[in-house]
Amino acid sequence: MINYRSNITPTFCPGCHNFLVYAAMQSAFNALNLKTSDLVINFDIGCVGNMADFFKTYAVHTLHGRSITTAMGEKLANPNLTVCAIGGDGGIYGEGLNHLIAAARANIDITVFVSNNFLYSLTTGQTSPTTPKGARTKSTPLGNVSEPLNIVKVLKSVNSNIFVKSVDAKDIQEVTKNFKEALEFKGFSIVETRQECVAFGKQLKA
Amino acid sequence: MTPNFSTIKIAGPAGSGIKSAGQIFSKILIDHGFNLVDYSEYPSLVRGGHNTYQITFSNEKVFATHFNVDLFFSVYPNHWQSHQSEFTKSTLVFSEEDFSNIKSKATFINLPLKEMADQVGSPLVINTLCLGVATYLYDLDVQKAKDLICEAYQKYCEINLNAFNIAYSYAEKNFSKFQIKIKKPKKIVKMGFNEGNEASGWGFIKGGGSFYAAYPMTPATGILHFLANKQTEFKLTVVHPEDEIAAANMAAGAAFTGARSATGTSGGGFALMNEAVSFCGIAEIGMVYYLVSRPGPATGLPTWTSQGDLLHAIYSGHGEFPKVVLAPGDVDESFELSHTALDLAAQLQTPILVVSDKLIGESSSSTKYFPDIEVKINKGKIVNEIKGDDFKRYAFTKDGISPVSFPGTPGGEFLCNSYEHNEFGFSTEDAVLSEKMFQKRMLKTKTALKICPKANFFGSKKAKKLIIGWGSPKGAILEALKLMDNKEDFAFLQLKTLWPINPEIQTIINAFKETIVIENNGTNQLVTVLKSQFDFNPTTIINKNDGRPFFPEEIIDLLTAKK
Repeated sequence: MINYRSNITPTFCPGCHNFLVYAAMQSAFNALNLKTSDLVINFDIGCVGNMADFFKTYAVHTLHGRSITTAMGEKLANPNLTVCAIGGDGGIYGEGLNHLIAAARANIDITVFVSNNFLYSLTTGQTSPTTPKGARTKSTPLGNVSEPLNIVKVLKSVNSNIFVKSVDAKDIQEVTKNFKEALEFKGFSIVETRQECVAFGKQLKA
Repeated sequence: MTPNFSTIKIAGPAGSGIKSAGQIFSKILIDHGFNLVDYSEYPSLVRGGHNTYQITFSNEKVFATHFNVDLFFSVYPNHWQSHQSEFTKSTLVFSEEDFSNIKSKATFINLPLKEMADQVGSPLVINTLCLGVATYLYDLDVQKAKDLICEAYQKYCEINLNAFNIAYSYAEKNFSKFQIKIKKPKKIVKMGFNEGNEASGWGFIKGGGSFYAAYPMTPATGILHFLANKQTEFKLTVVHPEDEIAAANMAAGAAFTGARSATGTSGGGFALMNEAVSFCGIAEIGMVYYLVSRPGPATGLPTWTSQGDLLHAIYSGHGEFPKVVLAPGDVDESFELSHTALDLAAQLQTPILVVSDKLIGESSSSTKYFPDIEVKINKGKIVNEIKGDDFKRYAFTKDGISPVSFPGTPGGEFLCNSYEHNEFGFSTEDAVLSEKMFQKRMLKTKTALKICPKANFFGSKKAKKLIIGWGSPKGAILEALKLMDNKEDFAFLQLKTLWPINPEIQTIINAFKETIVIENNGTNQLVTVLKSQFDFNPTTIINKNDGRPFFPEEIIDLLTAKK
């Protein structure tokens, strides 16, 4: 078993689905026998981005929304590297949506993991691009006016040659399997894990 | 006495080949050994409007195009109208018009362009017809002219040669009394002919640059075009991504993997890149930003020139971190500072900005022959072999610079972090460590002062007055000093490193009682920068902020008026 972990204890909230994502990533990397020195992980800003401190590989904790562009620069400059990006629905679908579409169009050989919990959570629970219409959140106390983004539909219409999946974060076997397939895929791949935010998710059920 | 310089200008609507004619004529002149500087004006549209291209050439070194024109071609009627202030009693103006009643100090000559174009069979050759007449008037080598016309027009060589011949014969028959005398160069040295943007591109290539990402924005697009064309020959990765934010962050990602990397844009695009500049500051990513300015704010005057982004460059990026701002003063310096910037990025591991403007970026001149120049590359502190698993990417060092490892190197794994971090790269919010890490990075400013390019000093330390400037006005200032009667009264200090400011600058300035700052902007930004560093009260400040560059004649007038 290759060690991908740093010696820093994860700081996710107790019960956060990102623990599962963290475990699934390590399993997938290990199953593919990826060396820590040939792997670059780009972390967006957000709850899952804080995973940056829990890995010991080559890694970049990028700017909010820019994990995909930073990853693209790395892959284009050194195609021998295995390059992935990880972020939330805020960073990847909100601030960085333009970059996601561009990466899918280019079909660049990087893998993106998205922890979609339907909210901005590190900033304490505002509406995100996947928040259901009408949901009352801290930034939309009168109800969210926008239609939520279905990223699988969107990306499939952008480029049918890419790998795009959305899975339930709780099904760790399915998550690991898809992470592994995405990493193996030659071309652009993205796996969204659907999550419930243990801290602010209650707003969506109200 | 035969004059040793001349200025030719061609004007017409966009799409009529004004720039092509100007560039071909420049190449013909360079083939004769002339030194030259070009300048072109064009509106932000593809067809129509009013475009100009002018060349000042000499058997000696030329630093800037002159305002006064000796030979003027209007490829369609009336394109001379707005240029009458540039005419002198020795100016010849050619256009297809009835000039029998014109009153002007210049000489106006009817040139039957339409009739000649009909003879060739295409209205598109009017620019080449002007080349034929100009080649005759300056008594240049016909074969050299023909060779260069063919080289430029390739499969349209024949039709253009036909036009050239017709116009040349017409001029020979009708314009012998208008021939312009000028001292010809005695020997022909191998020179290049480049725009500033191309020179930046050559500097990037010769400086070991390997990754360039940019989104098109006038007047910086020339660098992107140039490098995109050279990517196969020089094994470059050149990317045009979805926006400037992506361009800058991609280039940062590439730099993280060890590529010598850059992006380029103008003021508006650079505003979007500010977050990436800041990111490079804390994550200690060495990369280059080419900022080719045009007048703002916002969309401003897209195709005109300005030095209005100096403070934007110096203060770019939120938060406090070290950076270097360089500014070339001409095309040759664009080459030099471009490869220097890549070295500084590798050595200092922080953002390096190269600020030029439309005047330098899009004006061609005779230059050194860049393909033949070999540049010694400094790669900075790179570690290729690491023992153990406790590599400290952000180790505290005396000069603030920590050894860097690149992906692919076992044992060098680290987190390149946009958050404040410890020596390994892991995030920290510790008060003592945060302050210490900030101080470590700021040490690089001291290191930068030792290795950044020194200012140029022209003239005598004993001169009465010191002119202080940066960037593109260098040309007009040096050309003015060349032409002035009382040139010994003036010395000229040209800053090449605009940030950090070397304390030597203060010493040089303080040795002069009278100082004159010249800037192509509206709010004297260099003055603000110098005032922030030491007690500085310039005697005179000369500004120009209308999108147009300074011309040497203008500088002479301003310097003599302030006497």
